[in-house]
Amino acid sequence: MITSYSIDRRAFLKGLGGAALALPVLDAMGAKVTEKAPRRFCAIYTANGMSLPKSDHGLDDWSWFPTAEKGGRFVFGKSTEPFSTYRDQVSFLGGLFHPSGPKADPHICSDMWLTGAPLHSPKPGTFNSVALDQVVALHTKQHCRQPSLVLSIDAGTGFLSRTGTISYSLEGRPIPAENNPRRVFDRLFRMDRQSLAKERDSLKQRIKIVDAVAESAKALNRRLGKSDRERMDQYLTSLDEVESRLIASERWVDIPLKPQDHSHLDLSVTNESDPAAYYRNMFDLIGLAFDADITRSVAFMLNREDGMGISDTFPLKLGLSRTHHSLSHAGDKVGQLEFCKYDLFLSQQVAYFLKRLNEYKDRDGALIDNTIVLFGSGASTTHNPVNLPTLVGGGANLGLKHGAYWRRGETRMSNLFLSILRSMGIDQESFADSTGTLTGSIFSRG
Amino acid sequence: MNSMIRSRMSRLIRLITLQATVLIAGWGAWQGRCIGGGIDALARSFEKQIKPFLTQHCLRCHNEGKSKSGVRVDDLNGMLEERHLKLWERIRAQLKDEAMPPEEEEQPSSEERRRVELWAQEALHVAKLRPAPKDGGVRRLTVAQYRNTLRDLLGLEEELTDVLPPDAVSRDGFLNNQETLALSPLLLEGYLEIAEKALDRSLVDASSKPAIQNFRVELGSAINAEPCADKLVLGADSLLLNSADFVVQQLTPRKPFQYEPFFMQSKFRFIEGYQGNDTVRDWKDFDGIYHAVFACMRGTHDYPKGRAYSTVSQGLLLRPAIPSSELFGLESTYGPRANFKIPVRELPDHGRFRVTVTAAKYNDGLLLDPGVEPRPLDGGDALICRAPWTTRQVVRLKEAGIYQVDVRTSGEDKRPAELTLDLGSRQFVGTLAQPAFLAVRLEPGELSVGVQMTGSNTLDQVVFTALSTDDAVARRFVGFEKRFPLLGVHLGLRRDCGSTLSPVGGPQRVDSDILKAYVFEGAIRNFPSPDVEKDNVNYLAGIREIGVRSEYTHGLDMPRLLIRSVEFEGPLYDMWPPSSHRRIFIDSSQKKDPRRYAREVIRAFAVRAFRGPVAPSEEHLLMSVFSESLDSGASFLESVKSALQVVLTSPRFLFLIENSKSPRPEPLDDHELASKLSYFLWNGPPDAITLQLASKGLLRKRLDSEVSRLIQHARFSKFIGEFAPQWLSLEKFSVLEPDRSRFPKLTRDVRHELKREPEEFLKYLIQNNLSVRHLIESDFVVVNDVVAQYYVLAGRPESGFEFVPFRHSRRELGGVFAQAAIMSGLSDGRESNPVKRGAWLARKIVAEPPDDPPPNIPTLKEEPKLTLRERLEQHRNQPGCAECHRKIDPWGVPLEQFDAGGRFKGEGGDAESILPDNTRVTGVRDLKRHLVEDRLDQVAFSVLSHLATYAIGRNLTYTEVAWLRREGLRLKDAGYRMQDLVRFVMKSPIFLEK
Repeated sequence: MITSYSIDRRAFLKGLGGAALALPVLDAMGAKVTEKAPRRFCAIYTANGMSLPKSDHGLDDWSWFPTAEKGGRFVFGKSTEPFSTYRDQVSFLGGLFHPSGPKADPHICSDMWLTGAPLHSPKPGTFNSVALDQVVALHTKQHCRQPSLVLSIDAGTGFLSRTGTISYSLEGRPIPAENNPRRVFDRLFRMDRQSLAKERDSLKQRIKIVDAVAESAKALNRRLGKSDRERMDQYLTSLDEVESRLIASERWVDIPLKPQDHSHLDLSVTNESDPAAYYRNMFDLIGLAFDADITRSVAFMLNREDGMGISDTFPLKLGLSRTHHSLSHAGDKVGQLEFCKYDLFLSQQVAYFLKRLNEYKDRDGALIDNTIVLFGSGASTTHNPVNLPTLVGGGANLGLKHGAYWRRGETRMSNLFLSILRSMGIDQESFADSTGTLTGSIFSRG
Repeated sequence: MNSMIRSRMSRLIRLITLQATVLIAGWGAWQGRCIGGGIDALARSFEKQIKPFLTQHCLRCHNEGKSKSGVRVDDLNGMLEERHLKLWERIRAQLKDEAMPPEEEEQPSSEERRRVELWAQEALHVAKLRPAPKDGGVRRLTVAQYRNTLRDLLGLEEELTDVLPPDAVSRDGFLNNQETLALSPLLLEGYLEIAEKALDRSLVDASSKPAIQNFRVELGSAINAEPCADKLVLGADSLLLNSADFVVQQLTPRKPFQYEPFFMQSKFRFIEGYQGNDTVRDWKDFDGIYHAVFACMRGTHDYPKGRAYSTVSQGLLLRPAIPSSELFGLESTYGPRANFKIPVRELPDHGRFRVTVTAAKYNDGLLLDPGVEPRPLDGGDALICRAPWTTRQVVRLKEAGIYQVDVRTSGEDKRPAELTLDLGSRQFVGTLAQPAFLAVRLEPGELSVGVQMTGSNTLDQVVFTALSTDDAVARRFVGFEKRFPLLGVHLGLRRDCGSTLSPVGGPQRVDSDILKAYVFEGAIRNFPSPDVEKDNVNYLAGIREIGVRSEYTHGLDMPRLLIRSVEFEGPLYDMWPPSSHRRIFIDSSQKKDPRRYAREVIRAFAVRAFRGPVAPSEEHLLMSVFSESLDSGASFLESVKSALQVVLTSPRFLFLIENSKSPRPEPLDDHELASKLSYFLWNGPPDAITLQLASKGLLRKRLDSEVSRLIQHARFSKFIGEFAPQWLSLEKFSVLEPDRSRFPKLTRDVRHELKREPEEFLKYLIQNNLSVRHLIESDFVVVNDVVAQYYVLAGRPESGFEFVPFRHSRRELGGVFAQAAIMSGLSDGRESNPVKRGAWLARKIVAEPPDDPPPNIPTLKEEPKLTLRERLEQHRNQPGCAECHRKIDPWGVPLEQFDAGGRFKGEGGDAESILPDNTRVTGVRDLKRHLVEDRLDQVAFSVLSHLATYAIGRNLTYTEVAWLRREGLRLKDAGYRMQDLVRFVMKSPIFLEK
């Protein structure tokens, strides 16, 4: 017989769940639902900076940041040309930086990109602080099946200070990323394979197991004396999170996934395949996940800092002559031009994503109008964590006005992040070291 | 003696006395007096004297906001926190060397300087003597440890752990560091999922009958009397064997239990298929087993010598499967040549399988290389065969021996002819570019000779000449006939492009010319599985392949491999219920009473899973899970499963726990020790022998013999496979993209073997307890044929893929610096990199880790005309870079004598270097000499500290490092032998206390 403790705990969690986890509002039969269109966020990161070639090479038209104007509007450079189709849906933001950036090891700018944490002097016992996508997840998870989707070119977290993920939990711990399209697909879209009753039974069973495990862990913790309690705390917190996810999933079981066409996916692709095919499928998955409202928060790390991981070799696979990291270090004209060309490749991938988001429809227009896409790097040129290359796309229904190359001296990234949160209707006082929002910029509601 | 020093000394003495008291008095006294006394006194003087100094002279540049060179002093205090000790060492050195404050700043008086320096010295001394509190430890299993543990516990070969996120890497490169072994909901979800799956796979419904699939493909020319009439097509470039040359049979094996034989589907209807390279779109019906099982070859076209494969009456002959990039210099999407495959539509989803290959080493002849002269016709002992060639000729041989066969032709056709020579029942096919064709061993008596030749030239004579034993060709033949092919079995998916075949176990030697059965087993889920929809309409979708090859190693001539048949059986059960089930549902007299039996089963499982005793409260909880499930109507099996699932996700299973009752060091209990021992040396759980010793309380007493047993055991490879790559940074080599034009030999297969070299070398050193100096300088290498070929060693070990010690006579070889996996991994695959190599050597080999790159790194001014050395110098001279690069680059410069492929460029070059301590070395040989003669203590310490860090799964404390440095010297007299080093770590308080 299970002890009364766990029964109480279940009841408590259920009660809490009832308050915290609102019932799904999607209607299976397509009947009108009262809720507003979902608001979504997607962060896309590229490492090692972007190409801002030296002026004496005469490659200005290849600069990632626009360098020319025509008729009062900026002209897209050659490496960002693929975005020109979406001129009214994107903006460049200049002069952004994390004040903590120049103080920290330059190779960990990806760790800081979405968090703005003072990594050179972290709070004792912590490594980082919460990432923007996780704050979004915290406020959107009650509406969808998955709080967030954390993707990266390499799975897991990687090196502690060359992390392979850009997402950090509320406690500042790196969230292991997923990188395999098939696995992501199976996890997100195949949930309707089993019969519903069986699915529900298996969730119930898992909740029971988790309950019992939590109880045994707590009993053990009491016996442990002075031993390392922190590990056990991590374990118990994670267990709680698993349990609340299970409870949320249990509620979702009855609601079938939105019917979608998945035929364009090629799930045999991995990060070892052709880079373009890999990115395209990953972006397709994000698009589908947004469209089916499986999640509203996505972070995707396209490649890694400091020559780590497989992505460093992508330029070679594309026929360029050096690895990503060494291209970013190039000072010679040939190298700098090749770095520009790699940027062009990345722009094509991200532009493809914008195209997908334009194709999906929310009930008040294109999906992209309810989605804020943040694309950028943690350094302008290599290891130079100022004037972070930043492109913001989408979100017209969230008050974003596009088509600008906005810059106003040095501006905190965290202020941009706060503006993004406010635009999404998340009323936070501040984010990391923010001092306010980006007033007078592309945001009209934040 | 001035008064300051006197007072310092007296305080020091007082402190030491206090330390001594500690050991005698209890913990309370220690805490009260030592921390309260010594450190408090230091803390008081810190506030009074040191802090004002730091504030006046250092704070402006080294504060929270502006931490120049990554240093800040504003959070220093007098408590000598572990995390500050290194900084205090640096401060002391900076003050002593008068390196700080910078010249242009206001300088403190020498007395002030000295006071702070002495305070730091004393503080460090106190810290060194202070036993760091030990509060036990909890760390979770790494993914690899979890996998090994689960496998050991359930006897389940199937790999289920790939849903887990990979472990993070610690600063030292280790995966098992307590600090980096974080827990996340994703990880926990993974554990839950795996526990569920693993139990589903292990436990069966004992009353059910399993389905078993068994079939055999027999090979041989024209052995199929009723070949498939359809023209078989299997996609681009599938060289299907002639339909008459193989037979497929479905079998029903004899088993000591009842089962359902599984017969493959043989009627299909497809709309999509292939005809040549064209897609076919038309519904078509197919009928017959030959549309379910095929036999074909894949691989790059052409073969450098002889025909890649041929069918003879005895079976299929295969030459070594040469990876196309290895020899043909191109990346083929079709895999190596010759690559025999059996594509199959249906194989079981789960469980173990067995592939049995009936094979032999072919009694082969050696095709002669260009340049071999034909034997004279008038020598007297030449046996000459002449036309007609339409029937077989007979020659009469007088004696047994090695013969050279010359084939003489005449005519105008310049194209080299392909010649097929039948001698008795043996067949040899090759290109005839010169008369000298074959060396072969022949028996006396009549020999029937058949010859066929392509082209328009006339075949004049076939000449047999007996060779004397000292003849060069005869000797080459003797070397050739001694070699034996290595039989490899692979499993994968059929694809038009790219090969997914992965090996089923290691290759096996085929050294007998009599046909024998060679058995390969694996778990089918560990191989790529076809993800084919039920309503698939494509002829080519979802086909698996069983690959059979003669594996390629050193590229020397190799007798062919003869394959007679290939048989598949799966799922493979020796009994029913299978052993995975019986190992949980143990035999018992209580089987009749479900609750009692459940208790017995669950307890026995938990004891094994927890690697130690199970507390009554734990047992109670598990039983309540079982009972609740049973009471709610679930079956007995399901209810036991639930309880076992809790076991497999509970912290006692997932964590290595050392439970400490006080901050005072306590000895590990026997079960904690058992786990620590085996997770160190086997990267997995203790076996029954160790656990029994632990239960009897004998483990500590028998530690020495247990360590020996564990080190000599096959599972010791699990330690090597973790420790060596993590310590020596071999992962870098795994992800390297070498420049193929510059390093054509660095192919995927060669890299795979090269990566094993440092591991096998380290294993050999430890298992044979050889001196640590071999790491630097060694007159032998540990190589297999592939690695030997890469280094162009004189002679080959002829050991196939097996690594064996091999004496070399080359000055640059031997030791880790000459190992290509290391040096090449520390390059970008194009150019060698002295900075990477220097940092590696400093960290890994001499344990002088450079500091992290500081923030605010100024960008390097680009001056492309500079040589590497000049660029390094420029780097070193730049303020901000200089401090660290002075300690890195000099180590890397001598290693510049190895290119980016890890091979020796030759003596000389710009390899002279002045090491950080001003020692001058002229190149890598001189560096090796210097390390062995002058710095062996340091190398040994580096090995010790890496071993210790890995063994205990956490960073060493300052005190522990100091202890190792000091006490490690005791191993010097015996020459720092590697196994001694391992034992030393395991017998140290660092390892034995919690």
